[in-house]
Amino acid sequence: MASLDSLSAAQIAAGVAQGDFTATEVAQAALDAIDSREKDVQAFLQVSADLALEAAKRTDARRAAGEKLGPLAGVPVAFKDNMHLVGTRTTCASKMLANYDSVFTATCVQRLLDAGATPVGKTNMDEFAFGSTTESSAFHRTNNPWDTGRVPGGSSGGSAAAVAAGEATLALGSDTGGSIRQPASFCGVVGMKPTYGAVSRYGVVAFGSSLDQVGPFGRRVEDVALAMNALTAEGADPLDSTSQNCAVDFLEHLDDPVEGLTVGVVPQLMEAKGLSQEVRDALTAAVASLASQGARVVEVELPNIASAIAAYYVIAPCEAFSNLARFDGVRYGYQEPDCQTLAEQTSLSRAHGFGEEAKRRQMLGAYLLSSGVYEKYYYPAQQVRTLITQDYARAYQKCDVILLPSAPTTAWRFGDVSDPTQMYASDMFTISNNICGNGGISVPLGLATQSHMPVSAQLQGPAFSDRRLLRFARAIERGVDQGLGLGGGAPVAPDFAGRGGDL
Amino acid sequence: MKKLQEVLRDWEAVIGLEVHTELTTLDTKMFCNCRLSHDDPPNTNVCPVCLGMPGALPVPNRKAIQSIVMAGLATNCQIMKHSMFYRKHYFYPDMAKNFQTTQGPVAFCMHGHLDLSVEGEGAAERPEWESTAGDGTPVERAADGSYTVPIRILRIHMEEDAAKMVHSGGTEGRITGASESFIDYNRCGTPLIELVTEPDLRTPEEARLFMEDLQQTFRTLGISDCSLESGSMRCDGNISLRRRGETRLGTKAEMKNINSFKSLHDALEYEICRQAEVLEEGGIIYQETRHWEPSHHRTVVMRVKETEDDYRLFPDPDLAPFDLTDDFINEARARIPELPHAKRDRYVRDFGLKPADARQLAGDPATAALFESAVALVKPGEKDAAKVQATVANVMVNLLPGHEGVSAEQVFSLARLLATDAITFAQAREVLEAVDGTDDDPERVVDERGMRQVSDTSALAPIVEEVLARCQDQVNQYHDGNKKVVGYLVGQCMKASKGKGNPKLFNQMLREALEA
Repeated sequence: MASLDSLSAAQIAAGVAQGDFTATEVAQAALDAIDSREKDVQAFLQVSADLALEAAKRTDARRAAGEKLGPLAGVPVAFKDNMHLVGTRTTCASKMLANYDSVFTATCVQRLLDAGATPVGKTNMDEFAFGSTTESSAFHRTNNPWDTGRVPGGSSGGSAAAVAAGEATLALGSDTGGSIRQPASFCGVVGMKPTYGAVSRYGVVAFGSSLDQVGPFGRRVEDVALAMNALTAEGADPLDSTSQNCAVDFLEHLDDPVEGLTVGVVPQLMEAKGLSQEVRDALTAAVASLASQGARVVEVELPNIASAIAAYYVIAPCEAFSNLARFDGVRYGYQEPDCQTLAEQTSLSRAHGFGEEAKRRQMLGAYLLSSGVYEKYYYPAQQVRTLITQDYARAYQKCDVILLPSAPTTAWRFGDVSDPTQMYASDMFTISNNICGNGGISVPLGLATQSHMPVSAQLQGPAFSDRRLLRFARAIERGVDQGLGLGGGAPVAPDFAGRGGDL
Repeated sequence: MKKLQEVLRDWEAVIGLEVHTELTTLDTKMFCNCRLSHDDPPNTNVCPVCLGMPGALPVPNRKAIQSIVMAGLATNCQIMKHSMFYRKHYFYPDMAKNFQTTQGPVAFCMHGHLDLSVEGEGAAERPEWESTAGDGTPVERAADGSYTVPIRILRIHMEEDAAKMVHSGGTEGRITGASESFIDYNRCGTPLIELVTEPDLRTPEEARLFMEDLQQTFRTLGISDCSLESGSMRCDGNISLRRRGETRLGTKAEMKNINSFKSLHDALEYEICRQAEVLEEGGIIYQETRHWEPSHHRTVVMRVKETEDDYRLFPDPDLAPFDLTDDFINEARARIPELPHAKRDRYVRDFGLKPADARQLAGDPATAALFESAVALVKPGEKDAAKVQATVANVMVNLLPGHEGVSAEQVFSLARLLATDAITFAQAREVLEAVDGTDDDPERVVDERGMRQVSDTSALAPIVEEVLARCQDQVNQYHDGNKKVVGYLVGQCMKASKGKGNPKLFNQMLREALEA
């Protein structure tokens, strides 16, 4: 008897295609795992058992009819709750949208379903993706599967935790300033933010339109590559005018050696204030592992990267203010009862529908866009954006990818960080990549020496070199596998492995 | 209040227009694939994009951008290859996203102009001392007072229209005090172009003519039906006064609810006179929005603008900046047909039309096409070809308005009947009514109804002789100097010929006989 915990997405799809087990059996195993693990993780806002079983039944029927199955046939997938899926609510973890039923299905979700995936549910997140711990969810917190007293990271904390706890084989998250890579790092799974434009944003509730990008979580680099194939194979989405065709086979060259390729290290970042020693040590080991596989290591400079957080906290709140203006309680969402005027209803619906962090960011954005202020902040922020983009372009003349931490520390205990600006600083290594639109991926390096929590390396690359990122990520994964004697990829967190999920 | 002429002796009226035009001839909305409609049931042409549902994204309508580029080229604008969309924020349910997608400092079309030809009585509105155009060039007047003045266009930008709101239970359809409000999102997201002029207009007539020219130009481009009545073309007028010779601008008021050319003229005329009265009595003009009430023939305050609204304009991150290619612009240019101005000049030059007539015919694309088809039926070598041509124009200008179902062949046939004196103008009107909407040949109608005039002098001579013999009193009066009496004699001849004689010929023959 197999356990879902030990199967990769490719193995599940192959097993379903070969008739080793049915998609329905896989769906039931996933729902069984969720059933027994969820009370301790609380990764989901909604488990879509009916949708999962219907989708699995369709997959099985297709196989019975002799049709060719998709590359994700029967693979249990979870979606961050800012992605529309007809038949589920899309709440963005906000009281504002607590009862909002999806009216259409997001392109990224649809593409995974078209590849045969089984949708098991919608995952918890920071409200409207504002946050780094998933604590700003209006509904409940999500626990880190490696230590339930610690945060899972955020904002896609539910998706990362669901995969780390073995409740789903794959999950989608969205990354505006690190919201895939940081929780992936905290939960010890692979998380990829593809290049801006690679994955359609249509149907994903917008936070910062020029920064948002959807990407996959998995426990293995191969699973993430498989998901990338499904997300991009059909090319640009005609419904998202910022999406681009970048269809390549992400599995091709995945296992190619990195010998002769160059990895860049930024000394300034490796010595950054706030970077913990155990993370630094893990990174040093990862660099050594790549070097031992034949990659050349060079030092590169990113002179303006220190301004990235400041620029981000101008651009992102401006876009967030604008994108969230539509939530006024008139046609959908939370509507304040018993108001006398339209202005009162709009005002109070927003005041009571949004949580603290959502209001803080929107007020910041409203202030930054007001006349007189806009010129002082928005223009310089855009200039910083250009400078950082140029920094990266110069660096990539000297190297193929840059290796850096995903987060300055491993996951912290609930309550340890409460000051918003300190929280914002935890995105210091991820934000710059959203600013310039390039791709990045977080790859587990095992457990850190002090906290004994998962620690990860982040790889960043030039725009639309996401396949190269996956190849380097696979090389790091190989190194970790050999060092730890693991049989491929990151394991399900030990407290959860084997609790249900038998196939 | 003083009259306009009197006010404009001492005051200079400075007028600028903001003209919104819905691109009604497109199939779909600005950022989604919903159908454009004016009369479908409410909220039937809507989707997640134009309803502003979370997660929806805009995709720009390429044809709409082609249309605005055509509008820019037709109004001598510079086409800006690089421009972008901005978001303009305000909380009101007529804009589903609570921001309108519009353009920022750089519009698709910048810095154009239209040359306005002002003729006839309208030319007299501009006082003689007002001899400089807004761009500083001198305004030369022809002997009859007519003049041509360039009106500069600041910009034409692309945006989306808001939804239509209806409030019931309140006063005058306003939201204040209303018990229910209804929103129809069919209109939300309709492609809209906004043209802003420089404050170069000086009289209500100039403003009216400018709007008319613009309507004719956009209709000829085929980008909109430009209906002021239905609101597919809307105009706000900004107006301020300053003393003759003053160079600083006065405080302006904005005029709304202008839904006809007459309203535009009358509202501006009223407002100029009102402002002059206020100023002359030592009062001050407030920067405010005023509502034109056609039934009371006055403007009333809608709202006073104490501070500028803060729309928090910033570049729309969902829409990449545009880089229009030369090919795209040239393609738009190639789609521009002959424009009303050029057509007007050609009609005057080639067919000898009066400028006012040429303006009327060239202004409406369907009318111009009908005119040209009818004129083309006149064979160059034909007897009286020039006369028939001129008569075609005459028929088109004076008889045709109000008749939708008349073909070029029918117009030509009717013109030839008139030009050869086969029927009178009054009869032509009757024939036109008869053939409108049918395939009937006017020649046949004239024959069937026995209308054809007799223009054969040998057939008419006996009648003239008989009438002169019978009306000796009138003949004597004529010889005593009362030449007008010929009219009576013509009437007698017409009666005697049962209406079929050619009255002009009778007139001529009577005079000849009387003078002989």
